[in-house]
Amino acid sequence: MIPEVYNFAMNAVPEGAGARPIRLLPDTLISQIAAGEVVERPASVLKELLENALDAGATAIDIRLDAGGVKRLRIADDGHGIPRDELAPALTRHATSKIASLEELENVASLGFRGEALASIASVADLTLTSRARGAPHAFALAGGHRDPARAALAAGTVIEVAELFGQVPARRKFLKSEATEFAHCGEALRRIALSRPEVSFTLAHNGRVAQHLKAETLEARITHVLGEEFARGARMVEAQAGPIGIIGMIGDPAQARASRDAQYFFVNGRFVRDKVLQHAVRAAYADVLHGDRQPAYALFITLPPAGVDVNVHPAKTEVRFRESQGIHQFVMRAVSAALSASAADAPVPMANAASGAPAAIVDGGADAVRPPAMFTPTPMSLFRAAPPAGQPQSQAAYFAMFSAAGATSRAMEAPAPSYLPAPLPEGDMPLGHAVAQLHGIYILAQNRAGLVVVDMHAAHERILYETFKKDLEGERIAAQPLLIPVAFNAERIEVATAGDYADALDRLGFEITPLSETSLAVRSVPALLADTDAKALARDVLKELQEFGSGEVLTRHRDELLSTMACHAAVRANRRLSLAEMDALLRQMEETEKSGQCNHGRPTWYQFALADLDRLFLRGR
Amino acid sequence: MHLVTAERDALLKPIQTVSGIVERRHTLPILSNLLLTKTDGELSFLATDIEVQISTKAQCEKGQDAATTVAARKLLDILRALPAGANVSMELNNKKLNIKAGKSRFSLQTLAAEDFPTVSQSAEFKAGFTVGQKSLKALLALVQYAMAQQDIRYYLNGLLLIVEKGQAKVVATDGHRLAFAALAVESDVDRQEVIIPRKTVIELERLLDDSDEPIRIDIAPTQVRFQFGNVELVSKLVEGKFPDYNRVIPTGYKNSFSIAREELIGCLQRAAILTNEKFKGVRCVVGDGSLKISCTNTDQEEAQEEAEIDYSGDAIDIGFNVTYLLDVLAHVKSETITVALGDANSSALVTTPDNTEFKYVVMPMRI
Ligand SMILES: Nc1ncnc2c1ncn2[C@@H]1O[C@H](COP(=O)(O)OP(=O)(O)O)[C@@H](O)[C@H]1O
Ligand SMILES: [Mg+2]
Repeated sequence: MIPEVYNFAMNAVPEGAGARPIRLLPDTLISQIAAGEVVERPASVLKELLENALDAGATAIDIRLDAGGVKRLRIADDGHGIPRDELAPALTRHATSKIASLEELENVASLGFRGEALASIASVADLTLTSRARGAPHAFALAGGHRDPARAALAAGTVIEVAELFGQVPARRKFLKSEATEFAHCGEALRRIALSRPEVSFTLAHNGRVAQHLKAETLEARITHVLGEEFARGARMVEAQAGPIGIIGMIGDPAQARASRDAQYFFVNGRFVRDKVLQHAVRAAYADVLHGDRQPAYALFITLPPAGVDVNVHPAKTEVRFRESQGIHQFVMRAVSAALSASAADAPVPMANAASGAPAAIVDGGADAVRPPAMFTPTPMSLFRAAPPAGQPQSQAAYFAMFSAAGATSRAMEAPAPSYLPAPLPEGDMPLGHAVAQLHGIYILAQNRAGLVVVDMHAAHERILYETFKKDLEGERIAAQPLLIPVAFNAERIEVATAGDYADALDRLGFEITPLSETSLAVRSVPALLADTDAKALARDVLKELQEFGSGEVLTRHRDELLSTMACHAAVRANRRLSLAEMDALLRQMEETEKSGQCNHGRPTWYQFALADLDRLFLRGR
Repeated sequence: MHLVTAERDALLKPIQTVSGIVERRHTLPILSNLLLTKTDGELSFLATDIEVQISTKAQCEKGQDAATTVAARKLLDILRALPAGANVSMELNNKKLNIKAGKSRFSLQTLAAEDFPTVSQSAEFKAGFTVGQKSLKALLALVQYAMAQQDIRYYLNGLLLIVEKGQAKVVATDGHRLAFAALAVESDVDRQEVIIPRKTVIELERLLDDSDEPIRIDIAPTQVRFQFGNVELVSKLVEGKFPDYNRVIPTGYKNSFSIAREELIGCLQRAAILTNEKFKGVRCVVGDGSLKISCTNTDQEEAQEEAEIDYSGDAIDIGFNVTYLLDVLAHVKSETITVALGDANSSALVTTPDNTEFKYVVMPMRI
C-alpha cells in the first residue's frame, strides 16, 4: 500500500501497538484510509461529485468554491436526485445504486461504481447532502455523521456541500498547496469532465466570482472553449472506426509553432484517462511530422466495448488497462497519423451536434422524467464528414481477432496477460548478434548464432534509458546538464506553481525549472542523458506528470511513471538513420540492460527468427 | 547536340563543388539533379536544395547554347570511376545525356532545365566585405562545431555572423556551450547581424581553400552570398533572434590555468574510456599545482589522470561532458590553452594565448 496509508495507521495506533489483539477497524477509520486513495485534494472531491451528478443524469451543474475548494466546495445538479430513504446509504461505504453484481462490474458504463466516494469525503470533511428525488413532494437533507434526514428546500436535483476538507486530518491538510494551485487543479478537473460531456452546462465560481461558464454545446464547440481558440484554429479532426473500436476528437496543428497549451486529454468510454499506451501512440504519430519531440495538444475520445478495458485498476480511476494494448496503440497511432497526413484540402469541417439530443430543460417533478444514468454506449459515431481513415483494414482485423478470442468472459478483472513474453536472451558472447541493416528507420536487423534478430529500435532505446535513469536515481540523483542558454517558455499558472512545489523532486531528476514570471518558466538544467532533446517539451511533460500526482513523495510513489515519461521523450525519434556501429552499440546496451525484452509500455523490443524457421519458409530441408 | 569535351578532372572538380548540397532523397525529385547550362563557351553547373544554391563554371568549346538537368550522384560517380586524365565528352540527344570516354559509354536520363527551381537572388546585397579564403576557413573552423543540430530553437541551427566596421565576428551555440571568434576585415558597413544556416556553413568550410585568394561576402536582408574563384554560393538566412552572447561569456574569473593542448586531449581521451556510454561525464579537480581528471562508469570502473599545472587559485571540483571539452581542443590550433573557472556551478571559459579574439564557454555537468 502507499506510504500515506501507513501514516494514517500510525496516527491512529499508539506506540507499542504490536501487543494488541487483532480487531476489525472502525468504519470511519476504514473510510479515512480509503479516502487516502480517493480524496487527495479539493480537485479529487470535485471530480467525484461531478461524476455523481452526471451519473444522475444532470444537464446543468453549478460549482462554487471558496479558498481553492478547501474551505467550501458546493455542487448543485438537476439530476434525478436521491429518495429520502437512500440518503443515509449513499453516505455509507460500498453503497452504490450503480452495480449489483460482478457481471455488471465487467460491463460498467457509469462513471462511479465503487460506492465509496461520498463515504470517504464525509470521513475527512463536513459533508451535507440535500436532494429531491424526482416526483418527491419536497427535498431532504442529511449531514455526514447523522442518521435521519431533515426536510429541506430544493426545487430539484441534488446539492452537495463539502466544507473544511481535511479539517480534522492535519496530516493531510498540510500536503495541500496554495489556494491558487488547488483552484487550478479544480479547474483542470472540471475541464476533463466538461470535455467528456458537451451536452451538459457547467458554471464554476470561485470566492463568489464566476470563473467559467460553459453552456450546453456541440463537442467541437466544447473542445474549442476548453482548449482555446488558438488550438481550434489549426486543429485537425480525428475520426476512425475499426469494428467495435472508435476514436473521435481534435488534435493540434503540428505546424503551430508554439502550441497554445499542452493540453492533452484522452477519454475512454467517456472517462478521462492517463494512459502511457495512448500517449505514446499519439506521440509516435506526431514523430513522423514533427522534428524533435514537440508535443501536440489534443482531445481524443475512444469508445470500445466495456469488456475490452479494465477501469478498476486504481480507485481514482484515471488509469485503465486495455485488454489488447498493442492493438489500441496501433489503432490510435494510425488514426492520428491519418488525420495529420490529410492534406490542407481536408481542413477542419464543423462537427455536427455531438449531443444525443438538445439539452433538456431543468425538469421539476414528473414521475416519468427519471432518466437512467447517462450511460456511455460505444456506438459508432459519425460527427465528422465520413472520411475513410487510413490503415483501417489492418486494425480492424486486429480488433476482430481481439474480441473473438476474448469473448465476453470475466477476463476484465484479471491482470491482462502480456500478449508477448520476452524470450530469455540467447546464449553466447553477443546474444543479440551484429547489426546488418536498418529497416524503414524503425527496425534493426541483426544476425546472431540462432538466426535473425529484429529489434524495434525506439522501444529498445526507451527501455535502456528508463533502466539507466532508474539506476541513477538509486544513487542520489540523476546527472544533470545545466544549460548555458536557459530555455524560456510561456507556461500555465499551474505549471509555474508545480515547478515551485516540486523543486526538490525536479532537482533529483536532473531538472532546474525556475519561474520568470507568473506565466513563464525557464529550464536551466535537464537530465544529462536528455541533454539533446527539446527541453521545453520535456519540462512540460514532467511538470504535467507531477501535477497529476498530487501531494506526497512523488519520487517514491510515482518514480516509474516519471522516468518512463522522460525515457519516452528521448526515445521517440522515428526515421533516424543509424550506422552499423551505432546499432551494434544499441544491441550491446540492450544485452546489458535488465528486462530489455520489453519497452516501458509492455511492448516487445526484439524478436528472434530462428534459421530453421527461415529455412522452412524457403522449403529448404537441412 | 554536343555539350563539352574535356579532361575528366576539368569536369569532376566543378561537379564535386556543387553536388555537396544535393539531398539524396528530396521530395522534389528534380532537386537530385544538377543544372548544366552552356552559354557562350562556358559551361555552368548549379545545384540547390532551395535553401542554399551553389554554382560554378568551366570553359568549354563554343557552340550552340543548351541547358539540361541530370542526376548529380550518377554523374559524379561516373566521372570518379573513369581513369584520371581520360578525355570525356558529353552530348545531349533525345532527352538523354550521353557520356563517352575511351570505350565507355553512358546514357543518362534528363529532366527539363525549365523545371529546375533556382534561387532568385536578392536585389539588395548592400553590406559586403572581402577576406582571404584561408582566414575565413580558419574562423569558421573555430566555432562551427558548436552549432546546434536539429534543435527546436531553429535559430541555433546556424552561425551568427556579425559584420561591423573593421571586424567580422562569428558565434555558434547549441545551448550547452558557445564558441565565439572574430577577425579583422576591411569593411566600413553598418553593423549587420545574420544567422547563416548550418548546412551552408559546413558546405562553405568544405569548399574554401587554404589560400590567400579572396572571398567576397555580401549580405541582403534575407540572403547571404559568397563568391570565390569560380564559385558562387547563395543561401537563405535563418530568421530569429540569436541569444545575446555577451551575457553568456563570463568576465573576471580569477581562477585560471594554462595547459598544453595535446596533453589535455590525451588525459581526457584516456579517462573518457570509462565514462558512462551516453552522457560522458568527467570530473576535474583543480588544486594547487595539479589537475586531476577522473571518470567512473555504471560498472564502478574508474580511470584517473593527473597533469601538472601552474595553479594557485581556489580548489574546484567540477564535472563536464567530455565531448564538449574535446570538441574545442580539436578545433583550436594553439600549443596551449587557458581555462578560467568561477566555481563548480558556473561556466568555464576556454581561451587561447595566440588569438585573443577566441572564446569558448561551456557549462559544467552535475555528475
Ligand atoms: N448528485 C447525485 N444525484 C443522485 N444520486 C447521487 C448523487 N451523488 C451520489 N448519489 C447516489 O449516492 C450513491 C453513492 O455515491 P458514491 O459514494 O459516489 O458512489 P458511486 O458513485 O461509486 O456509486 C450513488 O450510487 C448514487 O446512488
Ligand atoms: Mg461516485
